[in-house]
Amino acid sequence: MHFDPAVLVDYWPLLLQGAWLTLQVSVAALVMGYAAGIAVALIALMPGWLPGLVTGFYVETLRNIPFIIILFVVYYGLPFWGIRLPATLVGTAALALFASAYYAEIVRAAILALPRGQFESARAIGMSPMSAMWHVVAPQILRALVPPSTNMTLTMMKESAVLSSITVPELTYQSLVVQGNTFAPFEVFAAVASIYWLMAVVIAEISRRLERRVGAVQAEAVSRNRIADRYLSLVARRT
Amino acid sequence: MSATPVLRVSALTKRFHGVIALDQVYLDVHAGEIVALIGPSGCGKSTLLRCLTWLEQPDDGFIEVAGKPLGRELTPGGVVRHQSRRQIDALRPQVGIVFQQFNLWPHMTALENVVRPQTVVLGRPRAEAIRRGEELLTRLGLADRMDRHPHALSGGQKQRVAIARALAMDPALMLFDEPTSALDPELVGEVLAVLRSLAEIGMTMLVVTHEIGFAANVADRIAFMDQGRILEEGPARDIIAAPKEPRLRNFIDLVMANRRHDNPGTTIDTTE
Amino acid sequence: MGFKLDFLLSILPRLIGAAAVNIRLAVIIMLLALALGTALTIVRSLKVAAVNACIAVVISFVRGTPLLIQIFIAYYVLPAVGLDLSPEVAGVSAIAFNSMVFVSESMRGGLATIDVGQIEASTALGLPPHAIWLRVVLPQLFRRIVPVLINEATIVVKGTALLSVITVVDVLRTAQQIASASYRPFETMIGSALVFLVINLVISLSGRVAESRFATARA
Repeated sequence: MHFDPAVLVDYWPLLLQGAWLTLQVSVAALVMGYAAGIAVALIALMPGWLPGLVTGFYVETLRNIPFIIILFVVYYGLPFWGIRLPATLVGTAALALFASAYYAEIVRAAILALPRGQFESARAIGMSPMSAMWHVVAPQILRALVPPSTNMTLTMMKESAVLSSITVPELTYQSLVVQGNTFAPFEVFAAVASIYWLMAVVIAEISRRLERRVGAVQAEAVSRNRIADRYLSLVARRT
Repeated sequence: MSATPVLRVSALTKRFHGVIALDQVYLDVHAGEIVALIGPSGCGKSTLLRCLTWLEQPDDGFIEVAGKPLGRELTPGGVVRHQSRRQIDALRPQVGIVFQQFNLWPHMTALENVVRPQTVVLGRPRAEAIRRGEELLTRLGLADRMDRHPHALSGGQKQRVAIARALAMDPALMLFDEPTSALDPELVGEVLAVLRSLAEIGMTMLVVTHEIGFAANVADRIAFMDQGRILEEGPARDIIAAPKEPRLRNFIDLVMANRRHDNPGTTIDTTE
Repeated sequence: MGFKLDFLLSILPRLIGAAAVNIRLAVIIMLLALALGTALTIVRSLKVAAVNACIAVVISFVRGTPLLIQIFIAYYVLPAVGLDLSPEVAGVSAIAFNSMVFVSESMRGGLATIDVGQIEASTALGLPPHAIWLRVVLPQLFRRIVPVLINEATIVVKGTALLSVITVVDVLRTAQQIASASYRPFETMIGSALVFLVINLVISLSGRVAESRFATARA
């Protein structure tokens, strides 16, 4: 076995182009998917049984089908209805559709988790409904949204690798191109995995900063007691 | 009594889907008084508090706070006029409420919980609001807890932050919804001390509680409520020692029996 | 050209037959992931700083890279280092490795909810560590993470669809074969979507039943 990064020397631009497209597609799908997710969540919270049933059907269907199949359904479905779009757009739309189901659940849960007393205490002290929303409700919902939304966005960014199967020239597609040209799988996939990894770490770091900005509750360091920690904690003691 | 009462409730009525929750409630609370409102659960006590802060809108009757009508007023021509949301919001700071679960805002520090409503509702300059908040929290023994978020405070501390938050609005009247129920039993004495210290500075208070012992200890006057009506009211000692209304007598007997059963240590101090 | 329902119905038997492959692989993957995930959790609980640091890097890698890339690594890279695996074995290893990390991470969360007093009591009673693990910690831990494991099972089932990319003849690859022969890719894909939907709904529902059983058994 040998590892020779030099074989990639001509292919870095291709891989970086792919990474750039992966980022663009992910951001576009984040924006579109979140907008759709908020809409679905708000419909789900409407009174009556019908909105809940319809949105529940939407969410459960999308969450129980592999993304690669959703992608192919959209990819073959659009021409079926006479709509012809470039693969990259189709892939982005499918990714947004997929993510919207998860974002909808995140938004719904964040709204439901807020105790009614929070709005009431702000109103009772004399804040207008707008002030109560701005000072009390919105910051708490936002704070509850950031961690799960980041997680989902990371998941979605990783799922975007599947777009390679409809020839969207994103990072994974380019890695297969380079692999076909170099027959150096170790080097190629080490490089590509590192790029994904780096993007994931950067997104996680951005979200950590954002969490601090919106004051999300920091997970308390649970050190309960030494005897129990032998079994119940996985944190290595610092020596 | 000649002075205008701080709180005057007259003929207050509230129905939920046809079920009567408050039935022609009359109640006066005078300046500097502590009135305890007792009664079995579901008797309408909490509904009354929610109506007094206009979180629920009563169907009928009137509320006056320090002589000013809240929510609904009778014009000189004898017509009932509903106040606008703005008018009601403007009066709300006059009625401070300490909720059963305190309802502190978890994303703000203790101090910010006290400061923010002052700046938003009263338009106080931030520096002044901070000064006032620090002063109140210090007076309530929270000088070293001001920068903590609610999740890092004990139940008793949260309650005192909630009290400070309400006091900072300079209310004419403070309402307490079951102030002992969310706390450990051994903290009841602490709550009592806080309420007494408020009484010393002349605060007027209406305390809803199902704990007769607490009511007897804290209140000047007790009002007994059942099935949406105030059935009996009078000086605290008389109400406990010589209840006239049979339902009140039953209620007291029942509570006493439970108390001896659960917690033999707590007795009602009527000799004080 | 309209949507041909009868065509969809006619290919369902073939797709359902192919689903046996996905289900079989998913079961193997889940069993492996549970066993390996439990082992990994116990190793992490030994708290050897250097080992845990390495494991942390592996976890970060697995969570930070696409499953598809992990599958490609198993499929293209492992043979290059002398491990010649069939596509099925390579794919199963990749998904199981991925799932192992998620199982161990959910166990970490589950451990934090176990009552400290029980461990103290067991230690005070003089139970040896392996007994504390086997008799006290793990049984409760598994019960607690049932919902997470059910969810993970549906994720694994969805993951098996990716194996079509490395030539495993599963539902998706079968569908692609049908599509290229019939020129009816849309109906075919709807058909395979339905197959996965049914499998995962059955898993979720039986999971919910199992959960309520557990809940009543504990009460």
